[in-house]
Amino acid sequence: MNINEYISSGIIESYVLGLASAEERAEFEKLCKEYPELVVARNAFELSLEKQAFENAPQSPASAREGFMNFINQESLASKSKIITMENSTSGKSSGPRWLAAASVILLLVAGYFAYQFYNQTKELKNANRDLEAKLKTSDSVLNRIAEEKKVMSDPKVTVVNLVGLAKAPASSASIYWDSTSANVWLLVKNLPQLPSDKQYQLWAIIEGKPKNLGLFDPQAENKVMLKMNNTQKADAFAITIENRGNTGGPNLEELQTMGKPKL
Amino acid sequence: MVCVNHLLTSNTTYGEAELVALLQQRNNQAFTYLYDNYSGALFGVISQIIANKEAANDVLQEVFINIWRKIETYDLSKGRLFTWMLNIARNASIDKIRSKSWQNDLKNQSMPEDVNTLENQSVRLNTDNVGIKKVLGKLKEEQRTLIELSYFQGYTHEEIAKGLNIPLGTVKTRIRSALLQLRSMIG
Repeated sequence: MNINEYISSGIIESYVLGLASAEERAEFEKLCKEYPELVVARNAFELSLEKQAFENAPQSPASAREGFMNFINQESLASKSKIITMENSTSGKSSGPRWLAAASVILLLVAGYFAYQFYNQTKELKNANRDLEAKLKTSDSVLNRIAEEKKVMSDPKVTVVNLVGLAKAPASSASIYWDSTSANVWLLVKNLPQLPSDKQYQLWAIIEGKPKNLGLFDPQAENKVMLKMNNTQKADAFAITIENRGNTGGPNLEELQTMGKPKL
Repeated sequence: MVCVNHLLTSNTTYGEAELVALLQQRNNQAFTYLYDNYSGALFGVISQIIANKEAANDVLQEVFINIWRKIETYDLSKGRLFTWMLNIARNASIDKIRSKSWQNDLKNQSMPEDVNTLENQSVRLNTDNVGIKKVLGKLKEEQRTLIELSYFQGYTHEEIAKGLNIPLGTVKTRIRSALLQLRSMIG
């Protein structure tokens, strides 16, 4: 469709002045949605018509104004009184349910308050419980270790070997708890100075003049408790040396720290 | 509401959309504003169709009551508020002159029952010097007749085609061409 031809066909004037047929009106309104220029042209004619009507407007009669004002005042009074009537009937009929409604709202609020309180309390209790559980675990493991140590120390089959400080480290001391039946060896560090991070202590068993590795250890790292070392059936003596971290070779006897012999 | 009251008690003229929104809320002050600002122009439209002042006054009041009743149906996207009211005014005026009571009142000049007498009616122009009527006299008589019958007396194109014995397409074309000429005169 050529919209410009349509615009200048007189359809706009016909539509605006109410002379278009129903089909023409429907088509015009449909085309207005598709062609903004048609709306612009329609608006332009409407404005010129309006301007012309206002420029030549006669004075309207006062009696029509009075009549219309009476009408709208009566209508607004009528609509107000309608509202009042509805309010009365509503409150009258539903006083029971309204009371119930208020009560249920209060109940709901109270229930909500308690639910919130319980929720908070539960959350607090859960946290406290978790803390206690963690503490209990720590205590249990400490207790187990102490019990283990106590068992070792009081076991009649266990021999205690005191390792005393040698020339290099006169203050150093440690004890070996050795169960010669089961071959279990525990080490209790009493005093061993801290080492640089590339060094470790190593426990040896001396058997017929030859060293047997019983394990590398870091006394500080183990919190000075009894350390479980490698087993040995035999030992003429026990010795501790300082070795490079992760030593796999033999003992550096120049770094012999402590030594002791089991009393057989 | 405070804002609205302020707007209405001052002499502000305000946007059509704003006015329409208030009217659709049945705001009394908005209707008062509407009457005070538009009743003159609408009275002009009515007077072009109904010469009798008293009857035109009755129609004007009726038109405003109709506007009050039908304001929800006004659709801003289909045209301006004044255009919508103009058509209500025109339709109410035509309904009035076509009513039985009106025709009985006009004892010496009844509306044509028979469409063949349309042509005689069409030349009746009143002396109002407003709106389209103001420039109607400048049209060729043939065109003036068609505008008089369609716009001022509300006959459909079919009724006019039948009454004047002209093909419907020709009636439509001539009316549109007449409207375009009127537009160029009032624009």
